Amino acid sequence: MNVLKVSRFTIVAFILPCTLIYFGIVFVPILVSLYSGLLDWNGIGQSSFIGFENFRNLFFHDPVFWPAVRRTLMFAVFSMAEIPIALMVAIFLRRYIRKPNFLVSSYFMPVILSVVIIGQLWKTIYNPAAMGGMLNQMLETVGLESWTRSWLTEPAVAMFALYFVALWQYLGYHTLIQFTGISNIPSEIYEAARIDGADGFKADRYITFPMIIPIFKISIVLAFIGSLQAFDMVMVMTGGGPAHATDVISTHMYNMSFLSMKYGYGSSIAAFLVILCLIATVIINFIFSSLEKRFS
Amino acid sequence: MSKWVSLALATTLVLSLAACGSNSGSKDNKGSANSGSANATDKPAEKTPDKKITITFQNIYPDPTDPKNQIMKKLVDQYHADHPNITIELDSLNTDQQKLKLKTQAASKEVPDITIVNPAAQMKPFVDAKLFAPLNDMLDQNGLGATFQEGLLDWYSFDGNTYAVPDGNNIAVVYYNKELFEQAGVKVPTTFEEMLEVVKTLKSKGITPIAIGEKDSWTGSFLFMNMVLRTNGGPGFLQDVVDKKKTFEDPAFTEAVDAFESLVAAGAFQEGATSFDYNAGENLFKTGKSAMYFMGTWATGGIETSSVNGKVGVFKFPTINGKGDPNEFMLAPGSAFAISADSEHLQETKDFLNYFMLNFPKETFEAKGAVGIGQVVDGDFKAAGYSDMAMEVLGLFKEVKGGDLAFDNTMNPGTAQVHLNSIQNLFVQKKDASEVAKEHQTAYEDNNK
Repeated sequence: MNVLKVSRFTIVAFILPCTLIYFGIVFVPILVSLYSGLLDWNGIGQSSFIGFENFRNLFFHDPVFWPAVRRTLMFAVFSMAEIPIALMVAIFLRRYIRKPNFLVSSYFMPVILSVVIIGQLWKTIYNPAAMGGMLNQMLETVGLESWTRSWLTEPAVAMFALYFVALWQYLGYHTLIQFTGISNIPSEIYEAARIDGADGFKADRYITFPMIIPIFKISIVLAFIGSLQAFDMVMVMTGGGPAHATDVISTHMYNMSFLSMKYGYGSSIAAFLVILCLIATVIINFIFSSLEKRFS
Repeated sequence: MSKWVSLALATTLVLSLAACGSNSGSKDNKGSANSGSANATDKPAEKTPDKKITITFQNIYPDPTDPKNQIMKKLVDQYHADHPNITIELDSLNTDQQKLKLKTQAASKEVPDITIVNPAAQMKPFVDAKLFAPLNDMLDQNGLGATFQEGLLDWYSFDGNTYAVPDGNNIAVVYYNKELFEQAGVKVPTTFEEMLEVVKTLKSKGITPIAIGEKDSWTGSFLFMNMVLRTNGGPGFLQDVVDKKKTFEDPAFTEAVDAFESLVAAGAFQEGATSFDYNAGENLFKTGKSAMYFMGTWATGGIETSSVNGKVGVFKFPTINGKGDPNEFMLAPGSAFAISADSEHLQETKDFLNYFMLNFPKETFEAKGAVGIGQVVDGDFKAAGYSDMAMEVLGLFKEVKGGDLAFDNTMNPGTAQVHLNSIQNLFVQKKDASEVAKEHQTAYEDNNK
């Protein structure tokens, strides 16, 4: 610690304000919501302490909750499955395109668009053909009428329609991260490998993959946590409907807290979500640290 | 990498440690909130007449092209001119945002001086939490109370005190596009069975029969409850459920579900109805893409300024299986202005709202927005240039023989949400009526323990 040659007091004095703010805006709200999860409270009037009653109802009596958890986890699985694809795209860009930066920035575009705009855009794309839905019109043009459907309102397909939009939006994001990771691998390593006869995919297998693992992990964690918290896009496109068919944990929490006015119950869902995120992060870290040990 | 693991572990540790201490922490919070409100009530006593005063006026008229927005601004400007020491600060939000904001504000006991609430069951939690000031004295002042339609204020009164004053009083009707009806060769239906036939004929001619914005699930519920009003043979079904005289498994309810499902099965609504929000649904009708539109009469103004103006008529929702009286309507006492009990300038706020509501009928009448307002309007609508459709709607008002309130105005929010989702589900999935009824009954019992 003393490489900086400053006293402990200075270090404390400099990091204290940030630490305090961080605790104030991260941990205090989490704690308050954990506590509210133990209350029977409509958010306005008197509250009464009911212990773990909310959690008991949540886990054993709520017909919407577990399907919502399943959808959220599916969301996470799909987003994580996307990252190898992003990695492939990044590798191809690096190898075959002479000036890849322009393409990478273009792929990144959807990420900086507001989710509301994306939601509205894809809503129009998914619309029935009669309302100008592009997807259905395209299917009709190529003679696949039987494939047309109202993508956002059929319970069986609505959720997949949402997954797809999220994957589309974040492909560029993860491609950028992977691309930067690959660019940071020193080119001497590849040159040395080429002399030894390792080129193309062989070089990827033995150089790129092992060296990109830390970057890959960042992507995985971001994708996982991001999809656990998925809210805005679902809200804009379906609002959790039709009839809960696209509800995820966070929209269920919103519905309970603000529409059904069960603030305490909503808080217990929030607490569940926090804990789920923590556990997931720990597990992912565990898997990756063992992966890294194997490869390095 | 073990750094990450240890960081995560440390985080969980800190969390669990601090969780033990959180109990006392939030007790403190509550204490300070209480003392805060006590201070606020003391303040009006020490006010001086010329002190600068700011009154926050939260409202749901954000659209500058909406006549109500213009009226509000005009009245506020006028009031500023008459009372130089008072500033009215407008906080204009759309309905959903306002609902959410108010709930958040209520949770921290920071209700704006004037805010908007919905009648009956929807405002009850706020009244129970003593967030609103009783307005009885304000209603007596300048005879404001007498300007409201008889019985209307009852929806906003609890234990003999009135807590809010409404900007409207509407009924639900079916708007229809005369041109499209002619094109399909159908007539205005007088029974539900005829209505089904009309729907089928329209559908076969490639016209969307009924437009609905079912992403906002109350729209479907509003229509469904009108059907219950018919199959029940009169109003009061939900009240009977509350009074334990009936359950949701009553035949009146299941019959309405069946009727509703037959409408869906006949293809009455536009494809993908559950992804249309309120405005998108209404636009289908306003652009002449659908033949019918079931909505509260507040939609009249919007339809008048749309491209289908002049082609639109209204009819009453028909009887179902010969049951019910078409002159009973879904009643929609409007959103209402309430005053915060903790307002720092309670008296001044009441004076302003009194002034505002006294001038509201005259101004809306002149702005051609007086169809469906909650106060008695003097004046000749026809002579003032109101459209034929508006006159037709006004004519229906005279035939109203009572009716029911919307579901979420009668039942508590928990039950209402289950209901709204259950009805939304009927748009996409066929479900046995008895199952729907059971779902409702279970939700009702769960939410009224």
